[in-house]
Amino acid sequence: MTLTKLRRLLTPVVLASAMAASFTAHADATLDKINSRHELTVGVLIGGSPFGSLDPSTQQPRGFNVDLANELGKRLGVKVQLVSVLPSTRVQFLQQGKVDILIANMEYNAQRGEILDHVATPYYRVGGTAITLKTSGITRWEDLRGKPVCISQGSSYIRPIVERYGAIPRAFPGASQSLLALRGGSCVAAVHDAAPLLYPLLQSDPEWHDYRALQPEIEPAPSVIWVRQGEHDTAAKLDTFVRDLHRNGWFIATEAKNGLNPPSPALAEWHQQLPAEN
Amino acid sequence: MATDSASPAGKPAGMRLPPGIYGVVGIVAAGAALWSLAPEAGSRGETLARLVEWAPALAHGFAMNVLISIGAIFIGTMIGLLAGALAMSKSFAGRLARLWIVAFRNAPWLVLIYFTTYVFPFGTTVPFPDWLKVMLGLALPASANIAEVFRGAVASIPSAQWEAAASLAFSRWQILLKIVVPQCVRRMLPPWMNVYAIITMGTALSSLVGIHDLLDTAQIASSTVARSSFTVLTYVATLVIFFAYCYPISWLTRTFEKRLRTA
Amino acid sequence: MDTLLHGFVTATARLGLDYRFLLDDYERVPFVQGLGVSIEIIVSTMTASAVAGLLLLLALRGRNRLVCGLARGFIEVTRNTPTLVQLYCAFLVLNMLITQWLHARGIDNPFKPFFWVVLVLSLHKAAFHAEALRAGFDALPSQTLEGAASLGFSRATRFWRIELPLALRAALPALVNNMVELVKASAVASAIAVGDVTYQSIMIWTQRDNVLALMLLILAFFGVLTWLVTLAGSWLERRYRIPGYGY
Repeated sequence: MTLTKLRRLLTPVVLASAMAASFTAHADATLDKINSRHELTVGVLIGGSPFGSLDPSTQQPRGFNVDLANELGKRLGVKVQLVSVLPSTRVQFLQQGKVDILIANMEYNAQRGEILDHVATPYYRVGGTAITLKTSGITRWEDLRGKPVCISQGSSYIRPIVERYGAIPRAFPGASQSLLALRGGSCVAAVHDAAPLLYPLLQSDPEWHDYRALQPEIEPAPSVIWVRQGEHDTAAKLDTFVRDLHRNGWFIATEAKNGLNPPSPALAEWHQQLPAEN
Repeated sequence: MATDSASPAGKPAGMRLPPGIYGVVGIVAAGAALWSLAPEAGSRGETLARLVEWAPALAHGFAMNVLISIGAIFIGTMIGLLAGALAMSKSFAGRLARLWIVAFRNAPWLVLIYFTTYVFPFGTTVPFPDWLKVMLGLALPASANIAEVFRGAVASIPSAQWEAAASLAFSRWQILLKIVVPQCVRRMLPPWMNVYAIITMGTALSSLVGIHDLLDTAQIASSTVARSSFTVLTYVATLVIFFAYCYPISWLTRTFEKRLRTA
Repeated sequence: MDTLLHGFVTATARLGLDYRFLLDDYERVPFVQGLGVSIEIIVSTMTASAVAGLLLLLALRGRNRLVCGLARGFIEVTRNTPTLVQLYCAFLVLNMLITQWLHARGIDNPFKPFFWVVLVLSLHKAAFHAEALRAGFDALPSQTLEGAASLGFSRATRFWRIELPLALRAALPALVNNMVELVKASAVASAIAVGDVTYQSIMIWTQRDNVLALMLLILAFFGVLTWLVTLAGSWLERRYRIPGYGY
């Protein structure tokens, strides 16, 4: 009788300590999984910008995000599997384990930091800007008060434009629909990432020459690689790679290769600064 | 989704062209009108050339739609036939089956797709690709609809057959499997094809959860090229591609129905 | 009210469902508004689709071959293309062209996304209504039609006072089915930022990652609506039953 009671008490204790031991014995689950399957699954944003787009002749994804994903896979010595994500699906895909890491132009903010972990060194700095018709009479962010603004579902700019400037968000599944809706007059302005998305449009596209961007950029925030909460080993390992890529100028070269214009001053900053630290 | 009956009374005689011709002509005319109205920064020829350049990517995207629809109808048929058969019994399983059918006939498809994409746990050991989740998400309402189609087909079998078979000492399940179902298969074909056409149209919703289907590829193409006239062309092309696939199916459905009725 | 909410949130939190958004004004108020917008969309679409369906039917049965052909072609197109693609074509393409055309003349585009959703959905459903009504007309007993003709009624009177009421009653189950489909299809409005309940849920779960909790709310909401529509349909069928037909 006492023996069975003892066994009943001990089993959970034994199980718990075994589990604890297994946790401490390995690196975190994601790194384990990557190493055992020799495959890194990366969620990349493929929306038609220089950061992520489709090559029409090969139907393969290409862009800055894709290049970074492949480079990280090369350094880890594993195959890379790319999964396309949208701003409205990226967090869920990471949380659900569908992807191991996110390279999705997802800037760091405190709210995201609560539910996810990230690689400490950023790989880009992006701020948001609003494009609006030159004739719309909107010259400052404050002019957006009470006006409808097109934006992407899941964008980090929704809260700032609502709380700080009192704009009314109209969120679309992706940036392409949002911009089309702007041209259709559903909103007075569209707020998206400045350097990756809006500046190239305003610079090179003749159809957008009636539009202008608002300054200053809001929420200039570092774009980081995201991992699930608690995956510190993965984040640390990727961090060493990212720092190295800044140091040897790989990011600046990739930015130019993908036609990101104007070259980001933040990248130049990190390229200069990082060798000094260490 | 009422499947068409024979040609209605009062229709002018001599209308021998399939109605789809009007549809095709309509879309092409409307598309051409829209395109001519769109502001063109470059040349029209160049925009057409870009469309040709993107055509393989669009075709690749549509192949994804077809894949999802075929998988969804396959899984849905398996589950639907089972649920339909169970729903006719008075057991507890029958009650569950009826609940399943009611639940999935009354849930919006978009919500079901979001549900299977986000809420299902991902397998870390078994790869569970995203299109499989959308396939499951569409298979659920498909199964409910097919269960109803099955029920309707069984109900159209005269009860005299059931009684006669019972008097010959067939059990309920034997009657179902050996006598009723073989007759039902022919009757179920047109509404089943109808469900397939509707599922195929439902696969367009997969673009909202990030699948690289036709609609998503059209959006990427549209933002990469970033020209209004190209955008118009691409979206109209999407419409035409779906029509070109679904209209023959619904035309075939009507032909089978007519033949069934006259047979 | 507040204590009820707090109690609900803590109770569901124990089940693993995150309903904290109900406590945050910034998120709760739009969600509740979204419920209202969904109902608005559904009611408007029901009315508009009924009217459009009737008009389509008149075009189909008319003697003008061109109008009949156009109606036929329109029905084929809307029935064989996805609603989402139709919505995008209307809102992202057509609306954009209209805006550009109007701007060149200095006028503002009056068409809002709500208008486009109702337009596309009601035209889509009108095609199904027209087909259902046509099947209803086919089910009319020929003796009744011959009797009416022999009594000297004009074509218009025959249609409006004899054929249509009978066809409506025969088509009622299919029409009610279409209305249930309409309720379900209204969720697609979230793709063009109309502010319905699905859209508001997406806005909340992309920030808070509580998909399951919101999913349950939306499914309950649509379940109640479809149940109400089916109930109304059964009531109508009972009230307008033709003695000697059906069950």
